[in-house]
Amino acid sequence: MKQMQLNDQLDDQLGKRHITLSALVKVSAVALFLVTGAVQAKSTAITNATVYTVASMGVLEQATVIIEQGKIIEVYSKQNTPQDIKVDEIIDAKGRILTPGFIGSMNTLGLVEVSAVAKTRDGGDKKAKITFDASLAFNPKSTLIAYNRKGGITSNIVAPHGGEDLFAGQTFAVDLSGEFTSIIEKQNAVLVHLGAENKGSRARNLQALDHKFADAKKALAKKKSKQEAKNKDKKDKDKKDNEVKEPKRDEQVINALLAGEKPLLAYADRASDLLALLALKKKYGIDLVLVGASDAVLIANEIADAKVPVILSSIANLPTSFDSLHASLTNMATLAKAGVKVILAPKGGSHNLNQLRFDAGIAVANGLPRADAFSALTANVADVFKLNSGRIAVGKNADLVLWSADPFELSTKVDLMWINGKAVSTRSRQDALRDRYTQKSNMPRAYSK
Amino acid sequence: MNKTPIKLSLIVAAVSLSLTACLPNEKQDVKVTIKKNPFPSTYQALPQQNTLFTNATVLTGTGERLDHADVLIVDGKISQVGIDLTATNIANVTTIDAQGKWLTPGIIDVHSHLGVYPSPNVESHSDGNEMTSPNTSEVWAEHSVWPQDPGFQSARAGGVTTLQILPGSANLFGGRGVTLKNVPSHTMQGMKFIDAPYGLKMACGENPKRVYGKRKQLPSTRMGNVAGYRAAWAEATEYKRAWNKYDRDYAAGKNPQAPTRDLELDTLMGVLDGEILIHNHCYKAEEMVVMMDIAKEFNYQSGTFHHGIEAYKIADTLAENGNCVAMWPDWWGFKMEAFDMVEENVAIVNAVKNSCAIVHSDSAITIQRLNQEAGKVLYRANDNGFKLKAEDAIKWITVNAAKSLGIDDKTGSLAAGKNADLVLWNGNPFSVYAKAEQVFVDGAKVYDRFDEKYQAKSDFMLGQE
Repeated sequence: MKQMQLNDQLDDQLGKRHITLSALVKVSAVALFLVTGAVQAKSTAITNATVYTVASMGVLEQATVIIEQGKIIEVYSKQNTPQDIKVDEIIDAKGRILTPGFIGSMNTLGLVEVSAVAKTRDGGDKKAKITFDASLAFNPKSTLIAYNRKGGITSNIVAPHGGEDLFAGQTFAVDLSGEFTSIIEKQNAVLVHLGAENKGSRARNLQALDHKFADAKKALAKKKSKQEAKNKDKKDKDKKDNEVKEPKRDEQVINALLAGEKPLLAYADRASDLLALLALKKKYGIDLVLVGASDAVLIANEIADAKVPVILSSIANLPTSFDSLHASLTNMATLAKAGVKVILAPKGGSHNLNQLRFDAGIAVANGLPRADAFSALTANVADVFKLNSGRIAVGKNADLVLWSADPFELSTKVDLMWINGKAVSTRSRQDALRDRYTQKSNMPRAYSK
Repeated sequence: MNKTPIKLSLIVAAVSLSLTACLPNEKQDVKVTIKKNPFPSTYQALPQQNTLFTNATVLTGTGERLDHADVLIVDGKISQVGIDLTATNIANVTTIDAQGKWLTPGIIDVHSHLGVYPSPNVESHSDGNEMTSPNTSEVWAEHSVWPQDPGFQSARAGGVTTLQILPGSANLFGGRGVTLKNVPSHTMQGMKFIDAPYGLKMACGENPKRVYGKRKQLPSTRMGNVAGYRAAWAEATEYKRAWNKYDRDYAAGKNPQAPTRDLELDTLMGVLDGEILIHNHCYKAEEMVVMMDIAKEFNYQSGTFHHGIEAYKIADTLAENGNCVAMWPDWWGFKMEAFDMVEENVAIVNAVKNSCAIVHSDSAITIQRLNQEAGKVLYRANDNGFKLKAEDAIKWITVNAAKSLGIDDKTGSLAAGKNADLVLWNGNPFSVYAKAEQVFVDGAKVYDRFDEKYQAKSDFMLGQE
């Protein structure tokens, strides 16, 4: 890592005065950490960067970002950058682009190693229901994880396939550190698949979903009145009628949806299905997110008015079914223009999740403003899934990527990246194989390691 | 011993000789010949326009890059490529100012299932793989092509002018592939590339053994796969011998009985005769080398390996054996035989002298951006020590693909006399922001990004709301 240079004048700089007040406070804090002992986390300043904050500060030229203890502790624009920065390490970005790490979603990263090998697949289960927590099967040592870091992906929303039930289970959030501590949050959204059916009618699932909410709402109201009655009449405390039962596990999840505590991610494509879902949101106040949504462009304004985010692929432009006759490369741009919060998800599985940045480029080539494309890979995902990442701002997780050039361009690569403030490598098994077969040896390749 | 029976038998022998061995003086029946082209192309170029493209960055497909160059197309052919061309002596020339734009040969995909696995993906149109027997050499993909697949239009908008439609990979022998020009037509024949050789789809590895192994029939193992190929080629060799004998005897004035027609063996014989080219779905290094040996055993060319995920492990052998290899830049992990992907695969294969590296799609999505698929290889390889240029990368999706399909004498490069199949790009085609602006097939504009008149629409999409 030749770009890195340790600041060996660190001690000399301690105690020096700084030009701005905020800088003074922050740097003093850094200095304090430095003198308190050897165990504190290393602090790093990335200087002279073109910082895409994806936050209120917009794009900053020649800016400085300081990270410490896994968090971004300072973001300085050029004008506000103090003359001396007290950190353990300074990395001169030399004008290169620094972005928040990209956030993948709606794939089975860490649940599937080889798609056709059953024993490496943990993304679905015939008996999976709304409570299905696939995070228990997550493998942070999967070879897909290091490979996908090449795409600047620092975290991901993993979505299981579920089974025969209406609900496919729940998503969970992970980082791509490859550490055993990768899971950020379990069961953070509920998955439901709607639309065209191989057998039977799509109406039944829509109706079943409506009934689930209606029944749960009724049960909650009943419970509430019982609770009130119980509170009113303390003498009847032990009366069997008034006993308030703990809801079952699946009921608890529905209740959480009704309370808006977690989003409902609904896969559907046809505009009539999407409208039915918007109606459910209105009726029950659920936190709805549409996934796939090929024909969402037909009702872009309705979706925007309902403040429903849409997760979609930018490259799924073929009419693969009668539900998707309006799939187009320009859909993402159309939705964003209408004011819909869009999230970019991969078209395929998780093996080539690293290509999300190219999909973003393709979306831009087809009319999506660059700023929206960055949001679609960072801040929008963080907002929907309540992650403390996706923006370069003070207090956010230090999930950062320093790019050789435009992050969306094919010729660009990740130069450096950090997950939770820790520098991570993009070297993967693929690199080891390449090196083995491109180096010269008079022995069989198996000896080249 | 009594001599009489001997005499008698001699007489019998003489009679039978006269009956079956076709004495030269016997009247010959009409010669039986196998029609090689029973579904002939009816393709006709769309309205052609003599055109001079000026001031473009030109990638010729032959390894050259010319800056500020001109390309002249006349009567559907490439007439000249050079600097400061004039077209004063050519009638009715349109000039297109290509300042800031790039010009390449039309993109060629050697591996597509458009039309046979079309959009929408409905059972009624799922016609890409006759999965009823491990050897279905008798089926022809062209008989499954639905020319109204909207995917043809999307591919054209991505600069694809020629594509081979292949059967799927469930079988050891999947049947014949067909090379089409990517022009709108309501018949397959209207798209068929005139004089392009047929392809024969073969498949190694996991797919055949999985599909038939589940049915408790051969093949259920890789060794079963190989036994299946060899048994078929042995039979085809006998079939060919029988036809050769028939032809020889007939030529000698005899009146032989023609062998019984067998559509399956017709195709295999076509390979043995060098008329049909092998397109072999084969991921793994050790399997590709076995396939080369089978071809040597039965005296045919092992052709192009498709999806050669592990081609980088045997790059030298592939070039020495004269194989083309068609590869994805980075797909991997969907099955065991796709686990050892490296992003430099195409570049490693390409680095060997006399190699033939191809980037293919096998996808209705990525066929729309084969330029970017090739671009990913270019840049990832250069990140890791290669020194490849745009003029190298374009070969993987043009001239090498044409070579694999046996049509490099007609298309795949911007050289004088070649078909005027070309793409005008808004800039460097190996950028994520690249878009084909105009696409020409045989000198006729078939797509224009800015002119709806040149944006074809499938019957299926017409009138949909």
